Amino acid sequence: MAKANVAPTMDPVAGAAAFDEDIPRVLKVLGAESLEALGWRRPNKLSLLVPLKGTHNGVTDEYLLRLGFQAYRTWPPSAQFVNPQSLTYSYPQDQQFVPRLASPECRTHIAYERPGHAKIQLICCSATLEFYEVLHSVEAHHVWHETDSFLTTIMAIKRAFGDFYEGRFAPHG
Amino acid sequence: MSMDKGAGDNAQDGDLNKALNDLEKAQEHQARARAEEAAADREIGEAIEEVKAAEEHDRDRVEVHVTHVNDVEHASFKERRTATLGEVWDRSYKELKIVRKEKDIFQTAGDPPKSLMTHLGLTLEEAHKQKVITDYRFGIVSETGGA
Repeated sequence: MAKANVAPTMDPVAGAAAFDEDIPRVLKVLGAESLEALGWRRPNKLSLLVPLKGTHNGVTDEYLLRLGFQAYRTWPPSAQFVNPQSLTYSYPQDQQFVPRLASPECRTHIAYERPGHAKIQLICCSATLEFYEVLHSVEAHHVWHETDSFLTTIMAIKRAFGDFYEGRFAPHG
Repeated sequence: MSMDKGAGDNAQDGDLNKALNDLEKAQEHQARARAEEAAADREIGEAIEEVKAAEEHDRDRVEVHVTHVNDVEHASFKERRTATLGEVWDRSYKELKIVRKEKDIFQTAGDPPKSLMTHLGLTLEEAHKQKVITDYRFGIVSETGGA
């Protein structure tokens, strides 16, 4: 089980197996026949690409969320908004591909600083792996449980898009 | 002097008796069939009344769909339009057979989902009229921490 102030350990084999196991459960509960039917894509055993969108001041923006399952399900999936062409995130050139989410449950940072480490994109939410990697403080009732699934992560981020979306981060330069 | 019936007359009497018997049986069958038909008509009438009553009952109800995101479970059930969102949320746990957690959130199942926590006193009908909900699909999630 995930713990506060403990760095996650990676186990890609177990992560891929747990991801395999959870896909049919999630599809069933969403009433979908395939990931593609939801508009999602699995480019490899450990990744899921989920298109998301947000509307701010009447303008709708599209984003691509990449989930990574290298420590799943002991830990939540990694979650990063990525450049839709490269499917990766490099700061600062890809910062416009990150939405400004300012929910008390989920806030985005394009370059989160952690002493002694490189800056990372942080979707600051207890349902993302990076949240634990930066050893963020967390209430006991918010800690990720192994009974949670990647749907928890997607829904937490989607909910932030609902009421707390503030538009796109400005392009670099 | 007596007149004995001939063999031909006896045969004719036998045919007539048989025909009368057959007629009697046929009339009995007809009477039974009419009684059964009358009973069937009554049953059909009663069934139509039951259907009307059920339709009347259903007009006041809607089909509700709830997904428990964390436990990846789904339930559907009929609920009164006059039930509040809070009541729908309460009943959802019973239908899902999942224990409520203190920090659970009731939300729409839209894209994006929207929290209904400040609207729990609205009835389904009111929530729909006020466009708080656009359908009867809901989600339950555990609160996350961040910021």
